Amino acid sequence: MSVQQTPNGFSLDDSGQRVVVDPVTRIEGHMRCEVNVDENNIIRNAVSTGTMWRGLEVILRGRDPRDAWAFTQRICGVCTGTHALTSVRAVEDALNIQIPENANSIRNIMQLALQAHDHLVHFYHLHALDWVNPVNALKADPKATSELQQKVSPHHPLSSPGYFRDIQNRLKKFVESGQLGPFKNGYWTNPAYLLPPEADLMAVTHYLEALDFQKEISKIRAIFGGKDPHPNWLVGGVPCAINLDGVGSVGGLNMVNLNQVSAIIDQVRDFVNHVYVPDLLAIAGFYKGWTYGGGLASMNVLSYGDIPDRANDYSTENLMMPRGAIINGNLKQVHEVDLRDPEEIQEFVPHSWYKYPDESKGLHPWDGITEADFQLGAKTKGTKTDIREIDESAKYSWIKAPRWRGHAMEVGPLSRYIIGYAKGDKEITEQINFVLKTLDLPVTALFSTLGRTAARGLEAQWAADKMRYFMDKMMANIKAGDSSTANVESWDPETWPAETKGVGFTEAPRGALGHWIRIKDTRIANYQCVVPTTWNGSPRDQQGNIGAFEASLMNTKVERAEEPVEILRTLHSFDPCLACSTHVMSEDGQELAKVKVR
Amino acid sequence: MTETFYEVMRRQGITRRSFLKYCSLTASALGLGPAFAPTIAEAMETKPRIPVLWLHGLECTCCSESFIRSAHPLAKDVVLSMISLDYDDTIMAAAGHEAEAIIEEIIEKYDGNYILAVEGNPPLDEDGMYCIIGGKPFVEQLKKAAEHCKAIISWGSCASWGCVQAARPNPTRATPVHKVPGLADKPIIKVPGCPPIAEVMTAVITYILTFDRFPQLDRQGRPLMFYSQRIHDKCYRRPHFDAGQFVEQWDDEAARKGYCLYKMGCKGPTTYNACSTVRWNGGLSFPIQAGHGCIGCSEDGFWDKGSFYDRVTDTHQFGIEANADDVGLAAAGTVGAAAAAHLAVTAIKQAQNKGEQDQ
Amino acid sequence: MQREINSGAVYVYEAPVRIWHWANALSITLLAITGYLVANPLPSLSGEASDHFLMGYIRFVHFAAAYIFAVGFLGRIYWAMVGNEHSRQLFKLPVHRLTFWRELLHEVRWYAFLEKEPKKYVGHNPLAHLFMVVIITVGGFCMLLTGFSLYAEQTGLGSWQDSLFGWLIPLVGQSQDVRLWHHWGMWVIVVFVMLHVYVAIREDIVSRQSIISTMISGWRTFKDDRP
Repeated sequence: MSVQQTPNGFSLDDSGQRVVVDPVTRIEGHMRCEVNVDENNIIRNAVSTGTMWRGLEVILRGRDPRDAWAFTQRICGVCTGTHALTSVRAVEDALNIQIPENANSIRNIMQLALQAHDHLVHFYHLHALDWVNPVNALKADPKATSELQQKVSPHHPLSSPGYFRDIQNRLKKFVESGQLGPFKNGYWTNPAYLLPPEADLMAVTHYLEALDFQKEISKIRAIFGGKDPHPNWLVGGVPCAINLDGVGSVGGLNMVNLNQVSAIIDQVRDFVNHVYVPDLLAIAGFYKGWTYGGGLASMNVLSYGDIPDRANDYSTENLMMPRGAIINGNLKQVHEVDLRDPEEIQEFVPHSWYKYPDESKGLHPWDGITEADFQLGAKTKGTKTDIREIDESAKYSWIKAPRWRGHAMEVGPLSRYIIGYAKGDKEITEQINFVLKTLDLPVTALFSTLGRTAARGLEAQWAADKMRYFMDKMMANIKAGDSSTANVESWDPETWPAETKGVGFTEAPRGALGHWIRIKDTRIANYQCVVPTTWNGSPRDQQGNIGAFEASLMNTKVERAEEPVEILRTLHSFDPCLACSTHVMSEDGQELAKVKVR
Repeated sequence: MTETFYEVMRRQGITRRSFLKYCSLTASALGLGPAFAPTIAEAMETKPRIPVLWLHGLECTCCSESFIRSAHPLAKDVVLSMISLDYDDTIMAAAGHEAEAIIEEIIEKYDGNYILAVEGNPPLDEDGMYCIIGGKPFVEQLKKAAEHCKAIISWGSCASWGCVQAARPNPTRATPVHKVPGLADKPIIKVPGCPPIAEVMTAVITYILTFDRFPQLDRQGRPLMFYSQRIHDKCYRRPHFDAGQFVEQWDDEAARKGYCLYKMGCKGPTTYNACSTVRWNGGLSFPIQAGHGCIGCSEDGFWDKGSFYDRVTDTHQFGIEANADDVGLAAAGTVGAAAAAHLAVTAIKQAQNKGEQDQ
Repeated sequence: MQREINSGAVYVYEAPVRIWHWANALSITLLAITGYLVANPLPSLSGEASDHFLMGYIRFVHFAAAYIFAVGFLGRIYWAMVGNEHSRQLFKLPVHRLTFWRELLHEVRWYAFLEKEPKKYVGHNPLAHLFMVVIITVGGFCMLLTGFSLYAEQTGLGSWQDSLFGWLIPLVGQSQDVRLWHHWGMWVIVVFVMLHVYVAIREDIVSRQSIISTMISGWRTFKDDRP
């Protein structure tokens, strides 16, 4: 090729040096990224490849729809539960099951706890090392660090000079052992790291505090779902019965459990408000000049919406997390999104390792077909089992290319926040304005890697507040005499129609998630998931539109081509989840194709 | 400045005195005599943290997520002070070539002395390219790391049994670690569960470090200390099972009182794990306590044993799915009807014969 | 197989065999009923858990009957070694003999009303012989293996039940698999018992020899003198 113009406005040039990052680490699952940089070390072409495939939807065929949540939950153990919730919603939609109000509140609390947990773990344990240099933290003055801490977050109690000195000593001992563990071979001498030592020490300290604290958040889901990761769910409601003051109340969800949940919600709010968001702002303050990574964010963003206020009402008005689509950066118009419309959401495979009878057309998930078709393009460097450079003009990823009315879309916290902002959602607008004002940035600064990272932190804050809302709502509902948690009218498969179909959706931590199910004779006839990282990690489509990962890497300057810290920064800002994205949709009886190297 | 096994043991609350006693016992166990005890003590005091390579195949990362939820010990203490987690693509700072170089380096420096922890499993079809690391099949990375390791820990049901991607029809031929063809013959400790309990994971590691030996394993390679009894054997709802008190329907009176979930398909009676004793998330709860039956996630092939909500689950054999009770009742009914019909014919024949004889 | 038999009586089933038969009948009945109830428990009871032990009793009866069945099985093997030649019939099947198959076909035709009269046998007729070996000897052995391996789950690792039978569970797959096969076995035996009882009564009336009384007295009597 050399230079090529994509319909969605990017100019791709693959003539420069090719840089390969495989594996991309600190993500869920397996991913590869290749870029071309020009003589000024600016990325001029980006290729993202999903490098794993498990075929869960093939496995789901013929199973009991009531079991599907457990299978789909295993799509991802990081955003654990969100697939399960999406699945039970899809089955309930297909069977027209109405869940009790308490079940809705409990599910929302579990989903919001996931948002808070996932965002926190992502920021500190998957993303922070792109901005924070733990080795540099050894040079920090603990006293100055303490002052910094008290300045950025006066309400966080762990802030004494002695505390930071202890952490620094422990870190020192660790580094001097020569066994750097997870920090081994990091890019610690790269000039891309801009924090002063004190900020590095504060952030590393919070890396450890967050590692301790995140396990507390997961307890909320353990109380309602029995364990975490992978709590238990139920078609028709939730499995945890409520019994506050009757005989044997210790057998059900009782006052003690509810107090535990309530206490943890308060702790989550404290931690997010006094540690996560202040850190975010402090770190962002040092990287204000690093404005890369916008990609599709300023153009096409999508959200299905989530967190229904009243049970069983999935209309846009009732969803507390905003729904909509924005096209070509026109924030004045937020389009409605219909997951049932065959013209809206479609998946394409010309550059994915799957085969369609007619690959120029996309398919709506209810009618999706897939046949694995692993083949490498003619310009691939290497062999089938030792790929050195991939050929993106052919098929090159285990991820399909979903499109909304033909557009490549970005999904995730930033998309939700942009849509909420465009719609004038009061809380979201306030949060965004606060950040922009604190950092003294224009609203366009949102469309960047840092914007993505910031939106995630704000959403954790929002989620923590909404947990409190639903907790209070549930208590009021129980007080009013309603303690039911499950609707079993349609539990028995004998009550089901012979054939039916449904769709369920959530806003997973990483973005819009939909499950489409067809049920025939009480068994799953077809099951399909279009997940956030399928949207974001999408390869090119038949027109050559690049996906969100690829778009966001374009025109980024890298300090050292051999040290891909900038690439990691931007990819991590999406919080990629590859086990989620690489799945298969298949009609009955289609065999899986064998490899052909062209 | 290395934190050594000795320091780790001290952190675990073992006194200097017991440490020295442990060293002399080790010396005599090795047939070296008491004179060697100081040598062993010195080795223990200066030995580096044991390197761990934590590889990820086809998986959902729930094992890592579970691991970081460990309360005792905290995950940060395991990573900072007990082991040297040199490779773990989920949390490591390095990526790409720099990440892969670590495997080479550890193999060279610690040949035969590092622990290989495996989360997920390799697919074998399509030459292994359903899971690609560094442009190559994951199974190659796994085999190479296994070749030079001291022992393998198979984290979770994926590495131990195959788990969800290996469920029927296993489209990628996902294969548990111990069944990978050509894998070096190393001790394998299976820690199944989807995921395993956090404290079980960290306990397996700390046991190995503290006592410098592998835990005792059962027939299937699982640590006896956690997997020798069923959920059912130690379930707090067991008295209701024995009494015959069951939840009959979700959210019924029995569910609110915490009766036994056996009739709702609970697999506690067929599942070996420590959920009902160690419990989850810092000993807070476990599935049955939160009102849902056990789905049997630490058992081999639990995805293919019928619905999670049936007690007498369907049997899959020779491509046919059937329920024993349905087939049994139908067969008994058919045989009963056939016997009745046969009896009728017999009676008629007898009457005819008798008639003939009478004539 | 077929002998020249005249009227009169032959002592076929010695006392231990007869006792075993009726003990078996009792234990199998109890095992099938309690086994079914373990898999599909009775409707839930209310009140204090400590007031009831229903499931516990059902399981106790199952295990007690299983021990009776197991001891009987072992005793029966012993008796096959020291008893009369009929006592060995359950443990050998003359599949290599053409006459066995020919007479088996005759017996099938008799049940299908295609033969006017059955042949006379001192022991089991070939069809009954086949069923007895497959269901009672082989089937009973399988039920013992699966049953004791499941029982070993509660006696625990290291118990003698576990040492002797525990290997079976990983061999078959997992605990739930063994449970299901054990359950399938129950249905096979239930169906067999139905056939057995029906055929025994029918043959007692229409065949040329005694059936039910033989299992009580041990003596086989014949209704005619023809061969």
